[in-house]
Amino acid sequence: MSVLARSVGNAFRNKIRTAAVVAVLAVAIGLALSMLVANQAVGAKVQELNASVGTTLTVNPAGGQGFEGGGEPLTAAEAATAAAVPNVTSVVGTKALRLRTETATTDTANAAAGTAQPGAGGPGGQAGGVTTSLTAAIDAGTLGNRNNNTGSTNGTGTGTGNGTEPVRTFTLPITATGTAAEVDSSGKALDITSGTGLGDYSAASTKALVGTTLAGKNKLATGSTFTVAGKTFTVAGIFDAGTTFGNNAVYLTLAEAQALAETPGELSSMVVTVNSMENVDSTKTALQAALGSSKADVTQGQRNLETAVSSLNSVKGISLVAFIAALATAGLIILLIMVMLVRERRREIGVLKAIGARNRTIGLQFVLEALVLVALGSVVGAAIASFASGGIASALISSSSSSGAGAVDQRGPGGGFGGGFGGQGGPFGGATQLLTSVTASASPGVIAAGITAVFGVAIIGALVPALLTARIRPIEVLRGE
Amino acid sequence: MIEAKDLVRQFTSGDRTIKPVNGVSFELGKGQLASIVGKSGSGKSTLLSLLGALDKPTSGDVVVDGVSLAGLPDGKLTEYRRRDIGFVFQQFNLIPNLSAVDNVMLPMEFAGVRTSARAQRARELLEQVQLDPEKQTRRTNRLSGGEQQRVAIARALANEPKLILADEPTGNLDEQTGGHIIELLSSLSRDHNTTILVVTHDRGLARKADRRFRLQQGQLVEEAAAARN
Ligand SMILES: Nc1ncnc2c1ncn2[C@@H]1O[C@H](COP(=O)(O)OP(=O)(O)O)[C@@H](O)[C@H]1O
Ligand SMILES: [Mg+2]
Repeated sequence: MSVLARSVGNAFRNKIRTAAVVAVLAVAIGLALSMLVANQAVGAKVQELNASVGTTLTVNPAGGQGFEGGGEPLTAAEAATAAAVPNVTSVVGTKALRLRTETATTDTANAAAGTAQPGAGGPGGQAGGVTTSLTAAIDAGTLGNRNNNTGSTNGTGTGTGNGTEPVRTFTLPITATGTAAEVDSSGKALDITSGTGLGDYSAASTKALVGTTLAGKNKLATGSTFTVAGKTFTVAGIFDAGTTFGNNAVYLTLAEAQALAETPGELSSMVVTVNSMENVDSTKTALQAALGSSKADVTQGQRNLETAVSSLNSVKGISLVAFIAALATAGLIILLIMVMLVRERRREIGVLKAIGARNRTIGLQFVLEALVLVALGSVVGAAIASFASGGIASALISSSSSSGAGAVDQRGPGGGFGGGFGGQGGPFGGATQLLTSVTASASPGVIAAGITAVFGVAIIGALVPALLTARIRPIEVLRGE
Repeated sequence: MIEAKDLVRQFTSGDRTIKPVNGVSFELGKGQLASIVGKSGSGKSTLLSLLGALDKPTSGDVVVDGVSLAGLPDGKLTEYRRRDIGFVFQQFNLIPNLSAVDNVMLPMEFAGVRTSARAQRARELLEQVQLDPEKQTRRTNRLSGGEQQRVAIARALANEPKLILADEPTGNLDEQTGGHIIELLSSLSRDHNTTILVVTHDRGLARKADRRFRLQQGQLVEEAAAARN
């Protein structure tokens, strides 16, 4: 019989009470662990978001909200001006083109009009476009049908269509972006899953990077060829942008895209990277001033992310507070239970002292008894947390995002044509998508850290009653005799 | 062996002060069996608690083998209770959810005796107090009063104390069972040469005692000892 064995035995002296105490502790511990898991998951997501696109600004031609829309295009001169603004670490110019699938029908003009007019990327969509041998990877779906109708109406309006025309297959345009560096429109490095990059991004080249879904749809692999404006391009690599729309795209070198668009030196947008998060706001102001508001619009590419991040941060704060509160509750439960047990066993403590037990032996016995209860509570609590933490985290996030990010403009990077290239908000992606992609899985490491904290608090909670036992005098053994 | 020097213990409740022990002095030699009688509330338990360092006297001192308890810190008093004293109470005061063997092993555990030696000695002691072997591993709250008191005596003997203090050990037992306990204590004092001080109303034990005391008005008065038979 050791102190530990005695403590375990004492923990089970009153089984019904032990079960009740363990159940209450388990709820508190389960809640604490769930909150910690949510906190960690959200924290990791915030870090990831900040690391990915936290420090980029997007510059578009003034007034141009849509694809290639608006006023004077940007030029290399503006890129140089932007690069000279303090705290700017890099300026990547891009030239976006919309590629239109070559059709075998003779009704090309009609098709072109039909495709261009709806302007999925926003107002001011450029008519015409560049033809390609590629077929878009995105099914037109309902959007296509709606646009198809519009197209027919337009066709009728221009007088080229006729009423008996068979149903035309509408295809969404493919985005081709000429870029001066191996980054996407938000400044994030491209994730090339096979093949290589384009090498020198400043020179004209017939090499191209193709998105995964677009490559799949057109059965392209590294080394395959396709045509744009009749010119043959070779697939140098396949990239994964992580979104359906982002993968329905082609990257070319900037010079090549400018040549294809017959607009040498012109940029449709610039991605400006700022050296740190703290400087983003001031740099945005400085950049806007340097370029002139009549010439360019500077937008914070991660505006939507900021909302997402701030809403995630509030979830993180809430979960931290809840974790601490639940932890403190567990500690308080232990404190009260042990105080009760000490009072109840006054006489027995007197007996132990009368037969020569040291104060620390008795104190240790009570702390160990408390830890047995906490251990049982932790086992059940961890089980609760592993089932509940996912639900608790998403409940926290959805309640927070419906009052926060969800209520505001939800623009996503790569979320539709618009969002990606600084246009008006697209219906895709956005904060909600980011938020729901937070996976709160109860990792053993986090659970272990949480349980360590629980035990720490429990020891503190049990120490108070354990110290109370030292004050009980051995004469208590005679009480009631 | 043990000497009480002008012991006083006073209790104050409100503005009333009582002195159930008011100037007690006596000395007991090694191996003596002594009895104390006295009316209920006369201060017998109070005196025993002072001798066993469960409580501290208001004034006076207890000297055990030349060591004064008055000067000892609490830690040393704990050690004194553990090594030199064995208590037997009217209410038995066993740990109810532990077995008889575990109860007897407790004082040895506190004294740092090895586990195997503890179990061995506990079984020997329980044999000495004549507890049925099959009851040794039974939880003590499932034992009868007489059996519990046997276990308590075995526990008091565990660390071979110099002095056993027994406070009405037969008070909760029927006459016959009490008689067995008296026999046991008497033979222990004889066989082990252990000093035993028993508070009792039992005439049989009083008859067996080497020294007989009466506590009245806070004073301890020795009565003529009967010849031990
Ligand atoms: N802790 C205490 N506080 C106040 N009075 C006490 C306390 N302990 C004992 N007494 C009083 O001291 C007197 C002697 O008690 P006790 O020694 O238990 O008597 P006995 O054991 O002879 O029956 C009683 O009147 C009792 O009420
Ligand atoms: Mg008494």
